[in-house]
Amino acid sequence: MTHAELERQLDAYLDGELAPEESRAVAGHLKACAACARLRASRIRLRDAIREELPGLQTPEGLRRRVRAAVRDAAALAPTPSRVAPGGAWRWLALAASLAAFGFGGWALGQRRAALETLTGQVLASHVRSLMPGHLTDVVSSDQHTVKPWFNGRLDFSPPVYDFAGRGFPLLGGRLDYLAGRPVAALVYRRREHLINLFLWPATATPLGGTTSTTRQGYHLVRWTASGYSYVLASDLNLSELTDFHHLLERGGSAAAAPR
Amino acid sequence: MDSSELERFEAVVLPHLDPAWTLARYLTRNDQDAEDVVQEASLRALRHFSGFRGNPGREARAWLLAIVRNAAYSLSKKLRTDALATEFDEEVHSEAVSGDEPGAALDRELARDAFRRALDRLGPEYREVIVLRELEELSYKEISDVTGVPVGTVMSRLSRARRRLAAALGSEAEGR
Repeated sequence: MTHAELERQLDAYLDGELAPEESRAVAGHLKACAACARLRASRIRLRDAIREELPGLQTPEGLRRRVRAAVRDAAALAPTPSRVAPGGAWRWLALAASLAAFGFGGWALGQRRAALETLTGQVLASHVRSLMPGHLTDVVSSDQHTVKPWFNGRLDFSPPVYDFAGRGFPLLGGRLDYLAGRPVAALVYRRREHLINLFLWPATATPLGGTTSTTRQGYHLVRWTASGYSYVLASDLNLSELTDFHHLLERGGSAAAAPR
Repeated sequence: MDSSELERFEAVVLPHLDPAWTLARYLTRNDQDAEDVVQEASLRALRHFSGFRGNPGREARAWLLAIVRNAAYSLSKKLRTDALATEFDEEVHSEAVSGDEPGAALDRELARDAFRRALDRLGPEYREVIVLRELEELSYKEISDVTGVPVGTVMSRLSRARRRLAAALGSEAEGR
């Protein structure tokens, strides 16, 4: 056996991973060769050092709790096959709900991030929660003149509401939501089978400046501030169409009125 | 998911959270990413739990570790950084060798520090085999299952990782 061969096999030998005959050959060489025996001794010291200096770690208690909670949430939200209604719109709603189970894990993590990140996490969580059956809308109407007044008395502002059905983004309804420490309006739109949540609330003294978009767990978020309102769009719709929608919203009523 | 399945998951998978954390922490090298990885991996494990057919002991641990590893790699891809990767730097590594100057014995803390840095400077493919072998005491076959690379590659990576660690520690001239 050459030194090169031995060096290749020494680790496997010490790990007890060689076949018996290979193992005997290595042992024989180690007895006869002082240099290789020194190499062996150095490997054993290294192993001892690794085990001493790189201990197995203990999961931080906070993480352990968060994992347990996230797992329970996800398990509770995951539909059992028998509960999934067959066919129709419910099929993809059930799918959305099962994805939602995942969204929550990420949402819990988002909580730890900086303030901007916190808002992103909250938006994502709200969006995902809204996809669960029964959570999407408080007021179901494609009529902007029904949805807008519904917010009266429920919010301390009157959100601009437009239906973009003529542009392929029909309004489905609205609901109250809670973001950034305040009640906000959530308007729900649809693009083909994709749901879009538009969150809006009066802009605070510190404007965000410009439009930002992020992608989290397969959802796209677009934020901007205009005409005194902060807006956030959330959807699994592709970013390009979501950006188109953003431009429609910026044009507001004039875009809504114009038929395709 | 019904409650008996959740209980089974909690009994079979969650006891292996410490090995999961250990691998995630050594792979990502920071607490926050490691927490993201472990949490994401736990949820992935839950989602795929119905497909897990192994025993609750070593097999469940290896199964979870494989998921943790994948989660760590997909996180680093998502961040579009080489968060896991660091080139081994000959210049830097030599600093860890304190030499045999008289009276220059490293105190314990410094030695540990040097060692950690040496491990951190290994590429992730080397770091993971060291952790899986030395800390988790997985067999080559199990490491191969976790990492998805052939046993022969596991063997050569482990050998190479140890050579580098030994060199970084200056424990003894290698290669003669």
